[in-house]
This record gives sequence, structure tokens and C-alpha cells, in this order.
Amino acid sequence: MGNCYHCGDVLPTPSILLDQKEFCCQGCANVYSLLNSNSLKDFYQFEKTPGTKPNKGRIDKFQFLDIPEIRARFVQYEDEKITRVKLSLPSIHCSSCIFLLENLTKINEHVLTSQVHFAKKEATIVFDRNCMKLSEIADLLQFIGYEPDFGRKVEVKGVKKTFLLKIGLAGFAFGSIMLWSAPDYVGITLDNLSFRNFTAYLSFIVSLPVFLYSASEYYVSAYKAIRSKSINLDVPITMGILALYAQSTYQIFNQQGPGYMDSFAGFIFFLLIGKWFQNRTYQSLSFDRDYSSYFPVAIHRFTTYGTEIIPIEQLKQGDHIQIRNEEIIPCDSYLISEEAQIDFSFVTGESALVTKKKGDLIYAGGKLIGLSIELAVKSETNRSHLTQLWNETKNKKESNKLVRYQDRISRFFLIILIIVALLSGIAWAFIDPTKIMTVIVSILIVACPCALALSSPFTLGNTLSVLGKNGLYLKNTTVVEALSEITTIVFDKTGTLTDPMSHKVHFSDVQMSDELWNILKALSSHSTHPLSQLIHKQLTDKNQKIKLNHFIEHKGKGIEARFNGHHYQLGSSTFVGNEVPIIENGTVFFTQDGEIQQKIHVQSSFRASVTSVLSQLTDKKIFVLSGDDSTDLPELIALGFKSDHCFFRQEPKDKADFIASRQKLGEKVLMLGDGLNDVGAMGTANVGIALSEDMFRFTPSSDAILDAKHFHLLASFFHVSSYAKIVLQICLGFSITYNLIGLSFAISATLAPIVAAILMPISSITVVFLSSSLIHFKYWRGIE
Amino acid sequence: MGMIYLMLIVSLCIAAFFLMFFLWATKNGQFDDDYTPSVRMLFEDEPKLKDE
Repeated sequence: MGNCYHCGDVLPTPSILLDQKEFCCQGCANVYSLLNSNSLKDFYQFEKTPGTKPNKGRIDKFQFLDIPEIRARFVQYEDEKITRVKLSLPSIHCSSCIFLLENLTKINEHVLTSQVHFAKKEATIVFDRNCMKLSEIADLLQFIGYEPDFGRKVEVKGVKKTFLLKIGLAGFAFGSIMLWSAPDYVGITLDNLSFRNFTAYLSFIVSLPVFLYSASEYYVSAYKAIRSKSINLDVPITMGILALYAQSTYQIFNQQGPGYMDSFAGFIFFLLIGKWFQNRTYQSLSFDRDYSSYFPVAIHRFTTYGTEIIPIEQLKQGDHIQIRNEEIIPCDSYLISEEAQIDFSFVTGESALVTKKKGDLIYAGGKLIGLSIELAVKSETNRSHLTQLWNETKNKKESNKLVRYQDRISRFFLIILIIVALLSGIAWAFIDPTKIMTVIVSILIVACPCALALSSPFTLGNTLSVLGKNGLYLKNTTVVEALSEITTIVFDKTGTLTDPMSHKVHFSDVQMSDELWNILKALSSHSTHPLSQLIHKQLTDKNQKIKLNHFIEHKGKGIEARFNGHHYQLGSSTFVGNEVPIIENGTVFFTQDGEIQQKIHVQSSFRASVTSVLSQLTDKKIFVLSGDDSTDLPELIALGFKSDHCFFRQEPKDKADFIASRQKLGEKVLMLGDGLNDVGAMGTANVGIALSEDMFRFTPSSDAILDAKHFHLLASFFHVSSYAKIVLQICLGFSITYNLIGLSFAISATLAPIVAAILMPISSITVVFLSSSLIHFKYWRGIE
Repeated sequence: MGMIYLMLIVSLCIAAFFLMFFLWATKNGQFDDDYTPSVRMLFEDEPKLKDE
């Protein structure tokens, strides 16, 4: 079996042949012939199978882009001839993408230039505004497989730039002050007071912008933490910074010496570099398209003449609007149509569909599943309202997760620090009361946890990039920690243990009438269930443009709809009402008014690597939760699963409940699912990993996405995360040792500037070097 | 001794010059995208491939 020349998917039978190359679908073949006819064949030279399967969208999908208000959001510049827009294209993933997108002008002459920003996955496109509409640009991009994401906020301008400015300033101050402090350290200028004072004042001037500008975010963060009565690492850091700066300024203006300004500037410099590194790792791995990418931008409103498209901000109370399948309801409104099925999983976390009847109030944020409906607007809305709704659920989930290791340590750290400072203050009151202030201030200075603050972003950031190289993309660094503590793994069966790419679909009655075939195709297109999608994929030559009515999806069971007065069902044997349930797994029935028309058997095969993965996971409890019947049990046992650890006929809610019950027993649960039907379960689990055949799909409740090609590495991911935790502890050990050495100087009131100037950079550099080298040297060949 | 004051000021000026240069480059967008240009360069260097 081969792979599609364009997108790399496994080829179906029959595949589409063109130019002696095989394609998986008409979409891919279309893109190929388009590129070919515009001499852009190079696209296939840089990477193997670089394409993204183009998404078939509605024809009028991007119409809203021609509304002036919405258009203005994306337009950067415009004159009477040209328009420049910046668009977010989430499926940019390789160098061939850059090639293709930067050569858009060869495909459509009205595109004048286009430039890609790879890391941000954005393209800036300039086009002839008299010959082309923005919606046509969007159509073109969608056609070649780069559907623009209009919900996503394009560019948070300036954040990165000001950050670099801060680093630059701190680095400049650090280097300069070090330079003229050097003679002082080796004792050359002790006899020349005027030189010493001159350099001291110079240090003060140079470090002032560092104090006021570069370090400002630490003050803000510490202030926020104290106000919300939680302690983060920025609190002791800010204490250290303030003590360091105050002490040095005092010394300089009393002409007692140059103070610790070099340590101060270096300190800020290293801290900012740590933060910069952290942001960079996030940016390069960012799959976390936030919720806003789901926001509707515009909406269909009914007018006396038909429908028009307007931005959602312009909705008024009492407007009648149309919502179509899979669209988000933008505002609180009343249902005018007879019935609607709404998925509120983004708002409530519950994945079960809610049925609403005519006249019911539907709250904003739900997603319509099924046929389009008409609504009357109750209250006006804006995007921020939706953001708020969705973020509340999200935060609820985050707070349930582990408190960060580092934050736990910093609380502990701060208490110890205060105790040590107090005790030494009391001790010095008996020895030499004049030195109390010096000692307390020096303790705050040396205890400043710079190395501690660096160890976590560097260790976990490097781990994130190692995992990312091997196909596991984590949402953030806390997941590394959670991953290392997992004791129990729960697998979903369909689509996770089985390989959706290697399914075979058998139809029992090939002689069915064309109309029924078309209905079957339309019906299967509405469901996200893996079996339904497989059936849909098989029916490439059938016409799908049939308008079904009263469409309802019963999650995990089947779908039903009406057409021309007949009632159609597609689903499991119990769903279609067989009196004697035929328990044959992967068998789906298609009925017309209760009569079985078609028995479809989908033969599933397990991923080849399941057995070897299991044999590497002997230290964990393994469960399988399947929505299907238990016919696969013998096969599962043969693969190495325990029969009493496999549960069948599980509803999405059962899965979530099961995970919650294991957590009550003190287990840390990892849920591995396909991400679409396991939203609730993955949200409940300590770590929810969505297994994805196609890396550009995204599921809101998962903590990580695993590229299905790398399923066999599952056990290795646990090793990496445990190893990362050990490295983190080693680094923490080192940084605490340095702090203790510093403390011994501080407590004995002998902390000379030179000690601080040596200790501080050395501790930071050791930690950065250790964390990066320990992780990269171990895994540079791969993680197996 | 006067020399050392002079050298100090000169070194500070040189450092300040580089700082200004860095700030200018940052503001100018030189560090905005550190990946795409490296790939883009390769496309233009392989015109022969296109003729095949």
C-alpha cells in the first residue's frame, strides 16, 4: 500500500491516478495539477509528501470577509490599487509550505507578493484589490490546503520586541559595569578613591534603566502574586533585586564602594534570557490554538429579503439568525426552529448533547450539531463575552491540575529565607549590632533564586523540544511533570489502539439504489464517529448534496435523519432496533423506516506496535475503555491486555466517571484517546493525550497531541519525563548549593561584591549548561 | 591616570553604540523571524530544479 503523493495519507482503493502518481482524494489531485500547471513542482522536491489534505468547505464559507468591518480586521494597508493582509495559516508545517505560499503569485496573477512567517504560521499577502476580493484569497488558500484561521488573533505586536530590548539593555549594563569593576576586584584602585567613586556613579547611571525598565515585569508579577495571596518564584526574586539595588545605591552615594551593580545587571540579564528561552520553546511548539479560533466572526441574519451576513457585534436584540451544523451560537437566544441538538462541551466540559425545544433559551458558546436552526437573539454579544465563557471552564480545569513543582518549592524557599534572615539578624544583634542590616540585606541578595528560576524553564523547555521532535506535543511544561507521575493508562479502543488508516469497509449489498447510497453518504458525513467517517471516506463517487431533515446524532450509538418522508438510521445493531442484537464488532446498519438496507462491516486492525508498547509498560496499570461491543476481547487479550481491565459499551460519560473513580484511589491517570469522542474523559484525566493522524486538528481539552506515527514511542515518553524530573532535581540541588555557599558568606557578614559577582553568573551558567546537556546528550539520537 | 578615564569613556561609548545598533535592529524587525529567511534563500538558489 502506498501513500498519497501530495499529503502522505495511506491510499484508499481505488486511488486517483494522475501523471503516474497516486492520490488519496480528488482534493489532493487538484492541488497537484494546479501546482503542476504553474510550474511549481518544486513543492514536492523539498520534502516528501509535503501537502495538507485540502478541506472541503462550503462555497460561501468566506463570504463574511467581504463585509467592510470584518475585512478591516485583517487588512494592514490599502490604497486604491493594492491591499496587504496578514492571515494566520495553521497548517504551515515545512519548508515546502514556505515555497508554495511564497509563490502564490504564480498560481493567481492578482496576488502580487506573499511572505511567510514560519514560526508564527502567518502569511502576509499583497494583492490587487481591483481584481480580487479577500474572500477569493481565502478560497484559494483553502483550495491548496491552507485554510486561514480567521478567529485567531493575528499578531500580538511588540511583546517580543520589547523583550529583546530589555535583554539588550541588561546585557549592555552587565558588560560595561563588569569591565570597570574588574580593576576594583583585583585591588588596583583601592588607593585611588576618586576613580572608584567615578566608576561607582557610572555604574549607578548605567544600571538605572535596568532597574526601572528591564526588571519591571518581576515587580509586577510579584505584586500580583502577593495581592492574590499566592507565592511564586518572582516574590523572592523581587526581594533580592530590591535588596541588591538598594544596598548598592546606598553604598555608592555614601562613597563606600561600587556596590553590587554588576551582579545586579548580570542577574537581570540571565533571568531574562531564561524567560526568552522559555517563550521561544513555546512558540516553536505552539499547537495550542486557543479557543478563539472557534469563534464565529460573522453570522447569517434573516431579513425580509432572505439572509445577509453581518459581523456578530452588529447583532441586535430580536434579530433572527441562522446557525448551521458545527457552528457556534454567538449569543444568548431563543430557539425558533422545532428542535436542536447543542454541544456545550466548551462551556461545561460535558460532552453529551443537550436537546432544546422550540422557545427554549440557548446560552452562547454552545455548538450546534445537526441541521441548521433559526434563533431569535435575546442579548447582544461580543467576542470578549465568549472568550470569558470559555476561559472560565478552562481555568477551572487548569487549577485542578498540579500546582507547579517550582511554585511549591518557592513557597518553601521563602519561608526558610525569612527564618534564616531573622535568626542571623538576632544572632548579629549580640555579636555586633551595627552589622545587622548588612547581614540581612546580604542574605536577601545571595538567596535570590536566579539559578532556581532558570532550572525549570531550561530543563522542561529542552524536554518539550525533545518530545516535540519525537511526535509528542505538550501544551505546556507542567504536563512533563504530570506525565512523570502517571500510574495508570486508559486507552480508548477505536481509533487509538486500532489504526483507522488500515480499515477495510465491506458492504453487504452492493446493488443498493443510487438514492440510498447518496443518503448513506450524506448521513455518514454528519458524524464525527470514526466508523462513520470511514464509511464516508469509502463513498467517494457518491453524491452527497442531499438535504436531510431532523438530523440527530446519538454519540457512540448512531445517527438518524429524515428525507422525503422516510426515516433513516445509521448505527449499531441495538440502535437500529434489532431484536436479537447481532454482536459483531464494527458492524454498522443502515436502515430505511426500520428495514435494514445495508450491513456495513468495518474490519479494524490493531496498530502493529501495541504489543511492544504494552510490554514496555509493565509498571503501569492498563485499562481499555471501548464504546463498542466485547467481540474484540479475545484479540485484546492476545495483544497482552488483562481481560478484567477491559470495559466495553462505555458511554463518554462512563469513561470520565471511570477515570474519576481511579483518581479517587490515588492513581494518576493518563487518557489516550482520539480526541473527538473523549473530550470529557481527557478533561478529567491528569494527562489527556489526543492521538492524531493529522497534526493540525486540535482538541480543546487535551494536554498533549501525539502524532499517530509515533505511537510506538509511548513508553519512552514516560522515561523522558521521569528523566527530566531527575535532571530538574539535580539542577535544583546545584542552585540550592550555590545559595547555601552564598548564605554562609552573607551570614558571616563577609559578602564582598566580588563573591556575589562570581557566584551569581557561575550558578546560572552551571544550571543552564547542566539542564541542556543532560537532556540533549541523552536524547540526541532519539528517545528509544 | 587621566588615560584610564578616557579609555573608560571610550569603551562605554563603543558599548553604547552597539547597544543603539542592537535596539535599531530589533525595532527594525531583524529578529522577528529567524527561520523563514534561511529556507527562502534555498529556493532562489535552485532555479535548475524548476526547469526539469
